[in-house]
Amino acid sequence: MKAERPKFIGARIQRFEDTRLLSGTARYIDDIVLPNMLHLNFLRAETAHATILDIDTSALADLDFPTWVFTGKDTAGLSMKAHQDVPEMQYSEQPFLAEGKVRFVGEPVAVILAEDPYKAEDAAELVFVDYDPLPVVGTMEQARDPEMPPLFDGWKGNVIVERQMKGGDLAAARAAAAHIITRTYRTQRQAGVPMEGRGVVAHYNPADRVLTVWSSTQMPHLVRTYISEELGLPESRIRVVAPDVGGGFGVKGQVYADEILIAWLAMKTGRPVKWIEDRREHLIASIHARDHEHTLEAYVSADGRLLGLKADITVDNGAYSTYPFTSAGEPGMVGKVLPGPYDFQAYEATFRAVATNKCAIGTYRGVARPSAVFSQERLMDDIAAELGIDPFEFRLKNIIRQFPYKNVLGFTYDEGSYAQSLEQMRELLAEDIAEAEVSKSSATRRVGVGIACFIEQTAHGTPDFTRRRTPIETGYIAARVDMSPDGEITIDLGLQSHGQGLETTMAQVAADALGMKPENVYVRHGDTMTTPYSVGTWGSRGGALGGGAVHIAATRIADKLRTIAAHLLQSKPDQIDLVDGRAQVRDNPGSFIEIKKIARIAQRNVEQMPDGMTPGLEAHASCDGPRDGTYANAVHAAVVEIDILTGKTKLRRFVVIEDCGTMLNPLVVDGQVRGGVVQGIGSAMLEHFIYDSECQPLTTNFADYLMPLAPEIPNIEVHHIETPTPLTPLGAKGLGEGGAIGPAAAIANAVGNALGTGVAETPLNTNAVWKLSQHIRETA
Amino acid sequence: MIDITLEVNGASKTLSVEPRRLLADVLRHEFGMSGVHIGCAHGACGCCTVHLDGTPRLSCLTFAVQCDGASIRTVESLGGSEADHVLQQAFKSEHGLQCGYCTPGFLMTLAPFVEEMVAQKRMPEEGEIREAMSGNICRCTGYQGIVAAVRKAVTVGLDAGAA
Repeated sequence: MKAERPKFIGARIQRFEDTRLLSGTARYIDDIVLPNMLHLNFLRAETAHATILDIDTSALADLDFPTWVFTGKDTAGLSMKAHQDVPEMQYSEQPFLAEGKVRFVGEPVAVILAEDPYKAEDAAELVFVDYDPLPVVGTMEQARDPEMPPLFDGWKGNVIVERQMKGGDLAAARAAAAHIITRTYRTQRQAGVPMEGRGVVAHYNPADRVLTVWSSTQMPHLVRTYISEELGLPESRIRVVAPDVGGGFGVKGQVYADEILIAWLAMKTGRPVKWIEDRREHLIASIHARDHEHTLEAYVSADGRLLGLKADITVDNGAYSTYPFTSAGEPGMVGKVLPGPYDFQAYEATFRAVATNKCAIGTYRGVARPSAVFSQERLMDDIAAELGIDPFEFRLKNIIRQFPYKNVLGFTYDEGSYAQSLEQMRELLAEDIAEAEVSKSSATRRVGVGIACFIEQTAHGTPDFTRRRTPIETGYIAARVDMSPDGEITIDLGLQSHGQGLETTMAQVAADALGMKPENVYVRHGDTMTTPYSVGTWGSRGGALGGGAVHIAATRIADKLRTIAAHLLQSKPDQIDLVDGRAQVRDNPGSFIEIKKIARIAQRNVEQMPDGMTPGLEAHASCDGPRDGTYANAVHAAVVEIDILTGKTKLRRFVVIEDCGTMLNPLVVDGQVRGGVVQGIGSAMLEHFIYDSECQPLTTNFADYLMPLAPEIPNIEVHHIETPTPLTPLGAKGLGEGGAIGPAAAIANAVGNALGTGVAETPLNTNAVWKLSQHIRETA
Repeated sequence: MIDITLEVNGASKTLSVEPRRLLADVLRHEFGMSGVHIGCAHGACGCCTVHLDGTPRLSCLTFAVQCDGASIRTVESLGGSEADHVLQQAFKSEHGLQCGYCTPGFLMTLAPFVEEMVAQKRMPEEGEIREAMSGNICRCTGYQGIVAAVRKAVTVGLDAGAA
């Protein structure tokens, strides 16, 4: 059936969810209050690596209020199992509560429940844990030292997993190279920090054997499945609800032990149990991100063609493997994406995750790609500098221009606007580049311009996940669309919206397919009782695949509306257009019937339907991603101004040219890009989760863990190129993460350009830039 | 336990509270003002900002017992369930929010700033607007939409004054 001309897809429509969020009537996890509720406080490890000798809870008996306490002995056998099923990976589990040993500061050792959260905290202070310290594995180097004791019994050393990917003839590339450039790049450990921390409320009703779990999560269905598998309850009796969620950014895109533990506690105590994470807990014990070291060796011809790339990648994973992406996810992603937007035919990557006594690494916006693109794009500038070629010229010489393109690892890229966006960015920056050049004579104030050119594999399909052999086995998104007898539309969406505007964008998609207005569409999400099974909102798939599922389901209803209309108007279904709330005959617009009247006929006056047609206007559809995903592309550019005497670095300008294919709502796209960029600026210049040599965390509050504030952030200029992909139903590619991927590389390249030096690591805070500009002060 | 009387969004209530209870908790649990959000509980993110006798204050760094006799406004008082305050409407049209968690704090910080600018009959500089929100952290928007919302709300206020 011919698609209607889009009217709402692509329109800059204000968000429907905003009224709820602005008025204070949204309901976040801490707003879930149940009768007879117990409040949970975690007692967490204060030492990074130790044997637990004893947990003394006897003082609780003296309290004048009731408490409930549970330790690893009570939860023995319950654990998070997040394993990559390959021989190279050493197996481990994360117990819900530490059993015998603690492996990072912040690991839950016991839970104390009371009828008031203040009292639960009071009680937790009375529990005494006797630790016998073990040697701490604190760095990548220590983790790779075979003399260090392994974190888990039965392990050989602390390399969790080490694998390889290769394509083409690297030896030949090396032999043919006129230049061999080797560099090591590092990106620091970060926390993700949505403004709402995590939290869980669970309630079990033994009468009907229904367990309800509210969690501030991006993936309610996956939480449901894990609870079912670990606690042995049927999924049909488990309802997981993500209420309004105050930001996720991937941090809430894993299943955490506490989500299952709290469900178990609600069953065990017979009372609802609530836990609201505090900020210190969030910073030390949710998930961390990045913490990579990459050594790259590039083989380049005399005329500046990239011939091959060799990579050695290490991720400091921390102690445990997270579900469902596992410890293997982060290094594997780097190995996979390093070839990037450049055309070369030989590649070999060795990548590993190592275990240390730190919080586990998980998925945070961009997932490994901010680090991979940092290294890739720093390397491009370093090669250009070594060869004496302009950084734009060098990239343009090696950029992929023919599509579809099969890369060195066999991944197929759909069409993008790589060269065009580079050319356009060069024009936008012409004045800044000239100013930077002039400032090179200054020993006190330098201006620098840097770019990052990258692609992002988005909306990955099931084959991409099954290849990984980890618990994330698929990536489809489902939606159920229903038109009620009054013509109003409900979407039950398998995605969960935590700021992306899905209650608006999905309404736009359905409205176009059904000839109705977005205001006629109510989008429900986040509740496994009403929504079809899906993997949740992560991995830049909401618009592309959620939008695809809604489009397919709504189109099925539209087809039925056309068939009924054709029957009533004595026309043919393919002659009926659905537009402005009417089903009308294409060449005779005076002949029409209102869609809401058809909706009533389909469900109430069913005798008027064509013979044999089933009543109802409901459709379920799922949309899986293409085999290799669809590749969004972008160029980011930063202009910095550096005070050489102090190292103070002002980010003067930040420009984005991005191509996410079809835009569903440019207002939302701009918001996603800008917000992502500012998180990326945090990665580049501020945010650093620091441990001391004993793996004690040093940045456990917002005075020490610094995030971007309004005064230091410039306006982010966003330009769009739209290259719709043929691989998703609406031509949309993913865009949620892209903003966060480029800034570290662009800003580092700008700082390098200003100072005339290479930049090996982030964050580029004032202190780091001051050190990097030492050579200018010395020669001044 | 100490008896205190608070007037919250126009309604007064006398209650007995422990000295250690945070104002944020008392507003949320005793007065049902769930628009008061706790982001860090150590005074660094601004999520919990409310008006205490007309001045923006961090309710996570304030004990309820310090506020005996005070008049308190939370985001619920601003534009009601329709969020029809000029600044709320500007947040919507300029996409000054995404997940909405920090939003009540930004609104309560910036509403008096907008009023002040309108009273002074002037449009603040970009840097001034950004400085006015430097005690609030937003992790979603990158601040740009919030800056635009402030500018729009001031414009509406100035236009209304000129009419």
